[in-house]
Amino acid sequence: MAGAAHHEPAADKRARRRPLRFISAVILVVLAGVVAASSLITRNVIRDQEQLLLSERTAVLGTSFTGIQSSLLLLGAIARSDQGNAQLFADAARSVATSSTQAWLVTTQSETGLRVTAAAGNGPAVGQVISGAQEQLAHRALSARGPVSGFLRNGPNLALALALGQAAGPGTVVWQESAVSPATPVRSTPTSPWRNLDIALYLSDRPDPSALVVTTTKDLPLAGLRYPFRVGADTWLIVSGSPHPLVGPLAQDMPWIILAIGALTAVLTTAVVETLGRRRDYASALVEERTSSLRSAIADLETAQAQLVRQEKLAAVGQMASAVGHELRNPLGVVMNVLYLMESGTGDDANAPMRRHLATAKREISAATLIVSDLLDFATSRRPILAPVQVSELVAEALSVVPPPDGVQAVQCGETQVVIDADRDQIRQALLNLITNGYDSMPGGGTLTVSATSVPGSVHITVTDTGIGMNEETRDSIFTPFFTKKTRGIGLGLVVTKRVVDAHGGAITVDSTPSAGTSFTLTLPVAAAMMSAPQ
Amino acid sequence: MNGSAVLVVDDEVGMRDTMVAILEQHGYRVWSAPDGETAFSAVQDTAFDVVVMDIRLPGRDGVSVLQEMGVPPPRVILMTAYAHEERLRAAVEANAFAVLHKPFETRRMLGLVADASQAGK
Repeated sequence: MAGAAHHEPAADKRARRRPLRFISAVILVVLAGVVAASSLITRNVIRDQEQLLLSERTAVLGTSFTGIQSSLLLLGAIARSDQGNAQLFADAARSVATSSTQAWLVTTQSETGLRVTAAAGNGPAVGQVISGAQEQLAHRALSARGPVSGFLRNGPNLALALALGQAAGPGTVVWQESAVSPATPVRSTPTSPWRNLDIALYLSDRPDPSALVVTTTKDLPLAGLRYPFRVGADTWLIVSGSPHPLVGPLAQDMPWIILAIGALTAVLTTAVVETLGRRRDYASALVEERTSSLRSAIADLETAQAQLVRQEKLAAVGQMASAVGHELRNPLGVVMNVLYLMESGTGDDANAPMRRHLATAKREISAATLIVSDLLDFATSRRPILAPVQVSELVAEALSVVPPPDGVQAVQCGETQVVIDADRDQIRQALLNLITNGYDSMPGGGTLTVSATSVPGSVHITVTDTGIGMNEETRDSIFTPFFTKKTRGIGLGLVVTKRVVDAHGGAITVDSTPSAGTSFTLTLPVAAAMMSAPQ
Repeated sequence: MNGSAVLVVDDEVGMRDTMVAILEQHGYRVWSAPDGETAFSAVQDTAFDVVVMDIRLPGRDGVSVLQEMGVPPPRVILMTAYAHEERLRAAVEANAFAVLHKPFETRRMLGLVADASQAGK
């Protein structure tokens, strides 16, 4: 197969390298569009899904703060009912504690200010009066509905305080304080509510760095879902993002998978369509080629048939011509004799009208004789009877048979002693046809030259006139039977001439220029004896 | 006027009569025959110098008459309006003096007859 490929024509290779067919290109573009659209739609759906999951997870985070109010209320109720039993408050506080909670306390309005009336954890001790930011927060708590929140700074330590006013009776505030360190990201654990999420929690309705409560990432500000929510009187904000897709890696990669599989499908489909299309093209090209050769064969057959019909017609014409020609020869001969007798009866007076009439009659009889000769020469294709013939003698004889008309000079040149094996009568007739044609082509006079040139193995006999010449169309038809441009003649002279030359194993060529003249050249093989004799 | 004896053989009466007239005009003693048999009989009876005979004749043709002529044979000029290759070849082989293709120039015929009559003397 590899060897065969080397023999493929360059055109085939070019055809193989041609770009995609139109239909294949369209299919490829359409499929690629569908694939891209599918991929985009899938990506959007998955992104929406991701957002939905993120917002659900974030919302869950937000709701975890809703329990704070009830925890503080519970602690308040315990504080009010424990009647100074610090241990009960401490136990209750521990039961609602989370890992980051560091203190619980209850403050009560008194004359000296807000004084701690119950405490657990590492917060201020019972009896201590609170001040500063804590005092301000307590006032806010007393006037607000629901818990309030704020930062409490105690040296390097920062604490987040949630305070619920009136929770342990009028004028009381129940506190929960948790240590926070916003600068240190919190590690998420598999059980933490923010597992798999990046979270930043702000005690503000906007991502204010000074209001940051806790974060799981150093990369702040965090770009992601913003989830503001109310914790009592304050608005908190969770900004959440997911470093890893919540929908799962497979879902995340689905658009690319769809794109890849779709692109592959598109390319394969296009390739199949292209292959089928090219195969169909090849098949139709093959059919076309076969049809064309069939047509050509039919045309050849028709031509052959037409030629056959033509040959049959010519044969029929030939038979008729032969019959008519032969039958005309006798009466023509008789008329010639009669004319001779009449001529000899008119005496010696060359000017007598009768003599002129007789001359006309003789001329016409000669013309009729010539026509009959042409017909018979055409109709009876006699095989040549070969005998040695000296070319120059034969040319001289042919020239002497028909004298040139007025104004025309006949010249014989190229004297050669070459001898050919030929049927003298036939070659003479062939030359006569060429010579009379030459004479007829020079109505205004001119020169007819017959030259014989010897070349190795053959002799060229050229008959050249300075007559009207022929155009290409005429030149192509001169060897067609019954084609003639003459006002007299039946168009068989050159047909017979060609046939005679062909029968002698020779060739005839013609060279003609309109208005300049025509030159016929007969090429005839020289006699075998001459060939072997030393030149 | 040379007075040579010439036999003209042709089945066409027009040809025969005009030939006779022309040859007589030129001083020949002329006989004529319409067919091969008559011609053959005439040749047996009379010593002609020249026989001018058509090849195609009713009955036996000119070539067969030529082939059977006795010795010394007269010079025979055969005339033909047809080109039957075999008969022409046979005529040449039977030593015909000349073959005249019809229609011929009367002067050429006269020249050949003169040549033939001279050849016999």
